[in-house]
Amino acid sequence: MSPSFRAGARVGFRACLPVSVGLVPWALVTGLAMVGAGFSTAQAMGMSLIVFGATAQLGTLPLIVAGAPLWLIVATALVVNLRFLIFSAALARPLAGGRPGLRWLCGYLLTDGVFATMLERLRTEPDPAWRLGAYLAPSLWCALVWQSSTLVGVLAAGSIPRNWSLEFMASIALLVLLVPMARMRPMLVSAATGGVLAVVLRGMPLKLGVMVAIVGGIAAGFAAEHWQGREARR
Amino acid sequence: MSDDAGLWLIFVLIGLATTLPRASFIVLGERASLPDVVQRALRYAPAAALAAIVVPDVVLVAGAVEVFNPKLGAAIAAVLAARASRNPWLPFVAGMAALWGLRWVAG
Repeated sequence: MSPSFRAGARVGFRACLPVSVGLVPWALVTGLAMVGAGFSTAQAMGMSLIVFGATAQLGTLPLIVAGAPLWLIVATALVVNLRFLIFSAALARPLAGGRPGLRWLCGYLLTDGVFATMLERLRTEPDPAWRLGAYLAPSLWCALVWQSSTLVGVLAAGSIPRNWSLEFMASIALLVLLVPMARMRPMLVSAATGGVLAVVLRGMPLKLGVMVAIVGGIAAGFAAEHWQGREARR
Repeated sequence: MSDDAGLWLIFVLIGLATTLPRASFIVLGERASLPDVVQRALRYAPAAALAAIVVPDVVLVAGAVEVFNPKLGAAIAAVLAARASRNPWLPFVAGMAALWGLRWVAG
């Protein structure tokens, strides 16, 4: 491990600590939900390790329980994960150059929180080793926090009071990430559009409304940036 | 649920549906990079995606928009705490305290 890898790892780890705190309640809830669906401890942890995605896991559970056709289960998982195509494309350049095995690992470990927290720094940092450290360290940490918290949820299923609403800490974590972004006007436009569209389009099937809202928010932010540039040139 | 092998097959397929989109461009690398204008537009993906996930969560109650609800109050408290202080734990303390407090007030 080069010194710049370790320097990047330290920066990434520190920046993503709040996000990893927000994972705990979600992982607990996901663990509880899998046991609630009738999975054994081995099956629940197997799903958690193979899939490693709260939205895909929680979204497909009711379908599995209801005995839905396999294609519908897989299609649902694919749709809720489409946003990762966008994230993966944004990370392709910052993470380019490593061995294929390492890049598969980077892909498997991709999460919303680390992506949102680190993207801007990964895009601007010139040292590849620093970038890899700043991405891998918090991603591995988040995976560790996620899997161990899921295990706690699976084992403790039934004895954690639901009315504590600890899963709300995940929403708080997302809001904490949005605050510094919203200081830039086009980012604020992008977030506001994405948020409003997601509420308005919540009735669309298969969570497609979330996809449309994200694309709409990106377009609005890009348009606002373009517009702001024209205003400034006048 | 009775068919254990079938369940593991479902896990593997859902796993593929999750890992392939995540790994796609990272693994393809330079062979399939997106045009620069798309890259610039992608800078807005995190803000748009986070808001698209979190806003419905705090303004919807049982699927309907409800402006006066404890979750929205808690969200506002968390945002104010994040703006006021650099302490990383404060938004969680303020948000959860507001959530529990507002629920208690609402009965």
